[in-house]
Amino acid sequence: MSGASLYLGLGVLLWLLGLHGLLRLRHPLRRIMAINLMGSGTFMVMVALASRSGHNDPVLQALVVTGLVVAVSATAFALRLAVAHQAHRSRQRPTGEHEE
Amino acid sequence: MPATELLLDITLGVLLLILAGAALHGTRLYTGIISFIAFGLLLALVWARLGAPDLALAEAAIGAGLTGVLLLSALGRHADEPAQPGSAVRTLATLLLGVLVLILLLRAVLPLAQGPQPLPALVNSQLEASGVSHPVTAVLLNFRAWDTLLELLVLLLAVLGVRQLQPAGRPRPGVWPLLQAWSRILAPLSVIIGGYLLWRGSHAPGGAFQAGALLAAGVVMLRLAGLLPLLRWENGLLRLLVLVGVALFLTVAAAGAWFGAGWLNYPAHWSGALIVLIEVAATLSIAASLSLLVVGERQELGR
Amino acid sequence: MTLALASLLLPLGTALLMLLLRLRSGIWVIAASLGSLLCAGLALHEVIEQGVQTLAIGGWRTPLGIRFELSSLTAVLLVFTAMTHLLVAIYAQHSRHSHARNTDYWPLSGLLHASLAALWLSRDLFNWYVTLELLGLVAVAMIILSGPRAHAPALRYLLLSLAASLCYLLGVALLYGRYGVLDLDLLAQASEADHSTRMALLLMTVGLMLKAALWPLHLWLPAAHSSAPTAVSALLSALVVKGPLFILWLLWSRVAPVDMTESAGLLFALAGIVALLAGGWAALRTPLLKTLVAYSTVAQLGYALLALGLLLRWQQSELSVALWLFVLAHGLAKVSMFLAAGEMQATLGSKRVASLKGATQTMPVAMFAFAVAGGSLIGLPPSGGFVAKWVLLQPLLLEPIHWPWALGVLLGTLASAAYVFRVVALSFDRADATPPDYDPDPFAQWLALLPAIAVWGLALFSQPLILWLSEASG
Repeated sequence: MSGASLYLGLGVLLWLLGLHGLLRLRHPLRRIMAINLMGSGTFMVMVALASRSGHNDPVLQALVVTGLVVAVSATAFALRLAVAHQAHRSRQRPTGEHEE
Repeated sequence: MPATELLLDITLGVLLLILAGAALHGTRLYTGIISFIAFGLLLALVWARLGAPDLALAEAAIGAGLTGVLLLSALGRHADEPAQPGSAVRTLATLLLGVLVLILLLRAVLPLAQGPQPLPALVNSQLEASGVSHPVTAVLLNFRAWDTLLELLVLLLAVLGVRQLQPAGRPRPGVWPLLQAWSRILAPLSVIIGGYLLWRGSHAPGGAFQAGALLAAGVVMLRLAGLLPLLRWENGLLRLLVLVGVALFLTVAAAGAWFGAGWLNYPAHWSGALIVLIEVAATLSIAASLSLLVVGERQELGR
Repeated sequence: MTLALASLLLPLGTALLMLLLRLRSGIWVIAASLGSLLCAGLALHEVIEQGVQTLAIGGWRTPLGIRFELSSLTAVLLVFTAMTHLLVAIYAQHSRHSHARNTDYWPLSGLLHASLAALWLSRDLFNWYVTLELLGLVAVAMIILSGPRAHAPALRYLLLSLAASLCYLLGVALLYGRYGVLDLDLLAQASEADHSTRMALLLMTVGLMLKAALWPLHLWLPAAHSSAPTAVSALLSALVVKGPLFILWLLWSRVAPVDMTESAGLLFALAGIVALLAGGWAALRTPLLKTLVAYSTVAQLGYALLALGLLLRWQQSELSVALWLFVLAHGLAKVSMFLAAGEMQATLGSKRVASLKGATQTMPVAMFAFAVAGGSLIGLPPSGGFVAKWVLLQPLLLEPIHWPWALGVLLGTLASAAYVFRVVALSFDRADATPPDYDPDPFAQWLALLPAIAVWGLALFSQPLILWLSEASG
């Protein structure tokens, strides 16, 4: 078993873990983290594919850089949206359920 | 491959899985977020192991840095979730299904360790003509420049999306004096390293995105330390910074289509210079957009 | 090709300028949509004269670069996108209830237009991933224009859309690992029916079906589309869900190996029939007006799914004409329905279907628009919906063993007739009419009627339209 195969398998496992988290968990922050795990798993598959057979594939690496920017933009938007949603909810029910 | 390297890979993999599991299922949300940030740092290490230093730089700045700040600041708003009562039957069923899907996926993925790779050779043969000598930068800004242009639009859209949200109305916490002192040193450093990464990008790992992310980290730090004035969307200069990357890119693309050889076709002797110009503009846009996304409040984004 | 690029660039440039200079007037977007429509129309003319055109972006040929392809279908879709944007922009500029004032509605709609144009033109799997993300983010940003109430459905939509993109991206990674290229045509030449290809197509299909809200992955759609501002709901239902459908169609009709398409086609077709019935039933039961219209989108997408499935099962490329006719007819009809529903809902002051009592008296034009658009959804001749259904039914009626599918289409038609008549019948109940909160705005109602007239006008153009669409599918 080579390094590339190991990371291919690990990437798939992370992707699946993220998907499971997204479907099972209810808290928005946990779900956003789960989606990021899916993203990391996908990127790991891509980077492992890029590194197979010794020489690096610059195209796949460039695709992952693009994917990373897209992922971070979407994550930031999702987090701000989750915060705004929470703020709106706690304003409607001012019993302070957001306080720990 | 030597056994020690394999051992290192396996250790890294197990650690990543443990951190990922803790991020999702750690008992407290705070623990989960810290695990997630550690996961990002470790991932940067994996990218470096896999021969992708461009990605390692990007992941360290983004995955661990900016996403971490965002998650921690979101945590202040959210209650810890109530524990979910899990039934044993359901867990078992999920586990079985998960293993089944995993086996199917592995059967599809593992044969790919040997597949045809026509593109790396092609990239190398055309590298001369691209105007830069680092292959990843050549792909990002020349061969697949259209992807990069659209990616800048995605970033812009995230900023616009955040702008449409109602204000969170959160009072800014008091500034920690140590942070203030440190950020006076670290922020100029982030500008210098960012500039260096950008310059290096044309011939070695680095480039617009990594530099922009690092600059944004500097801006975020200064803002959190209260050393930077509010950045207002009403400020034309800030809007120009956010938009300049896409605008310049589009201008070059359209100028190529109408006066030159074609859409996004750089003139032969100018491609190196044009790529540097576009990269500088893109770095500024990425830095401005990411800072707005992370520390932008109503006053900064407001209408 | 220059004209098609201009059709993409005009709305994009306008959006950026509006953001930079803080222009707030919808006139700019209307002008850009009009210009884009003209360019797209000329591009269509060019394609008919000269045949399919391709563009290697940056002068880099595939597999190194990204390829644009302007076929007659792409040109028709560019025209359709620009036309829909123009109609909705005129409404949004005029209507009091469009949330277009004091928000970034106008630049966002320009960006939506450009993202769609980029998607129609591209033929590169990874580039599609970026355009899909653009579409998802712009859709969510536009949904939350209607205020904090829309945050919950918008967040749900955003998370599902991101997960769907990652499903799609993993599929793209598998295909790249297997064949080493990303261009659609190169993949089509190389693809074989092995395990990796199957899994890749499965992953991409799940992602795209989730994004296109195809049954059974449609559950996010009704809440998201109905909580958006009226003009946005119209754009989302008419255009945004069609983008992933376009990619799905290209993937299965070009890349998928033949021995996979037959079984997949059966599943698609069955899902289409269930979508027709389940969506229709939900639309019949829901108490809320915009949710009814949104569920009708779920049902109508069933026709497209059915056409896709049968096209794959029997390898009959004529059926893709039916698919795209459904998309065009549904898009125009749905714009009209959402605009009419939104106008009535805002004027009558209630979101409930029951408040439409006597609407033929209080808001006759809007109700007429709703009914006319509904007629096309049902497929009454000679509307655009009828032409699409006719093209779909022709091969079904030829052979007796295909009659069960025709029965499915008939049941779907009955379901759509049921929910349209539910609204129309209520509106004729003039005895106890709901009094409007404001004076009804006749001009806005006429604007809502415009797309409905266009969809009936589609029947007049059916001959050349079928010709153009069948050229693209051959």
